Amino acid sequence: MDIKILMSGDQAVSVQMGSEISLEVNRKVLMLLEAIKKSPIPGVREMVPTYASLMIHYDPSVISLLKLEEEIMNRAENMSDIGETKKIIREVPILYGGELGPDLELCAELEGTTVEEVIRKHSTHDYYVYMLGFAPGHPYSARFEEPFSFKRRDTARVKIPGGSVVVQLNLSDLIPFEQPCGWNIIGSTPLTICDYRKEDPFLVHAGEWIRYIPVTEKEYREIRRADEAGTYKVKVIEE
Amino acid sequence: MGILVKDPGPLTTVQDEGRFGYQQFGVTPSGPMDARAFHIGNILVGNKRGEGSLEFTFKGPDLEFDEDTVIAITGGEIQPSLNGSPIPRYRAVRVHAGDVLKFGFATGGGCRGYIAFAGGLDIPLIMESKSTLASKKLGGFEGRALKKDDYIGFTAPKADLPDFEKRWVPLPVYPTKEVSVRVVLGPQDDAFSEEEQKKLFWFSSKVANECDRQGYRLEREVPIKHIKDGNIISDGIAFGSIQVPTTGQPFIMMADRQTVGGYTKIGTVITVDLPKVAQAKPGMWIRFVNVSMELAHELYIRELSEMDALEKSMNP
Repeated sequence: MDIKILMSGDQAVSVQMGSEISLEVNRKVLMLLEAIKKSPIPGVREMVPTYASLMIHYDPSVISLLKLEEEIMNRAENMSDIGETKKIIREVPILYGGELGPDLELCAELEGTTVEEVIRKHSTHDYYVYMLGFAPGHPYSARFEEPFSFKRRDTARVKIPGGSVVVQLNLSDLIPFEQPCGWNIIGSTPLTICDYRKEDPFLVHAGEWIRYIPVTEKEYREIRRADEAGTYKVKVIEE
Repeated sequence: MGILVKDPGPLTTVQDEGRFGYQQFGVTPSGPMDARAFHIGNILVGNKRGEGSLEFTFKGPDLEFDEDTVIAITGGEIQPSLNGSPIPRYRAVRVHAGDVLKFGFATGGGCRGYIAFAGGLDIPLIMESKSTLASKKLGGFEGRALKKDDYIGFTAPKADLPDFEKRWVPLPVYPTKEVSVRVVLGPQDDAFSEEEQKKLFWFSSKVANECDRQGYRLEREVPIKHIKDGNIISDGIAFGSIQVPTTGQPFIMMADRQTVGGYTKIGTVITVDLPKVAQAKPGMWIRFVNVSMELAHELYIRELSEMDALEKSMNP
């Protein structure tokens, strides 16, 4: 395996498990993460899985860089395949179009098809969560079938609301907090994507899958109310 | 009992050591911009080094105390006064119920300061930390910078501390025009030719107006050229990472940085020099100096043992 350890300053390294965005490479990143969790390296403070690399923060007063590199390579050689584990799917309700999904019709136009077909493509396939980043609980996720052909908008919006579901090509992100964004907004989820009140504040985690469930405006409002009251249970499916 | 905020100043937030272990979920650690000044403040008032303090920028907050305690003010040259009389920085100071703490503007070196309170502030732990990430409404005082009329309680105020007269350290000097900042190359130094890497060190970079807890934008007359372009597959970002997007204008990632990013990072500021960046003001020049990883580690370990020694001498 072609593993590269890059220097991210004097207290972190970035372990590159490959040089492409793919399920295979990302799995390797998560496998290395699991291997180090199972057999911890003294001096490692925090690990951050990303698309193709695992960032490892370490304390150089506890472990030397040389020793750290040796330990990482040792874990990498002995990591077990987690490829066979269950697929964890989180069902995320989404209201397509309307005020909270202002670009749905544009998406259909760009795609040269109907709104119904855009919704079908978006909600039929599951999205793999490569990593969380950018903002707390923000998933970078992608589907592997029937990608859209359009990319970003020509000009980015200065602010889009939290809860927005944005799309381009085969990618679809959930936006936890108000932020600038250059992608098209296809809809909105009534769920709080990052809820600090909860013991686990994050709706989805790296390595899991998202399945979008279309809901009506009425259902959206009901789920929103239940979510705010803390009584909504996200459906988790294991396949 | 605690402090009433009479005037919050431009930006005052609660910061402790930082929120660690949550970057995997996209939560940046936050914490102090100038960790050295922050640690010394806590040591001076007998706290754990990473206890929650107030961090302020350009000017401190006006605070009214309703209980006796001990405070210490550290960081940049921002002159504090108590009931109208100047008080020293980098020295433990007794304050009494009814006292009012005020600050001047940052006119000398440095732009960020810390107020440490003996016994700490009564701030809830969110994800194990008191640090504020205001852009994401997380932690600290109600997830935001302080406002007028906010009231923060003390956890265990102390009217006095042992060996009070020994609770001081010499004032540090913060540069006002140019600061040299040491850097180790990587993680994406190979996105630049050797010639272009050298240019990062040969020519100084000017601190732009856009500099805050998230990062420092730098302006260079001659941009840094990539071999190809400034884009990479998004990966993790460290405190002090020097991002160079395709424009060739660098950006130093600071305490409230994003956890991941898709731009090349030519180098990373070494840990012991992060306070120099944190205290640099817009218009100042940063001269990067390339150092080895061995030196960066040696300097960090030396600083750590100096801080341990200071803590041991004051709070045995």
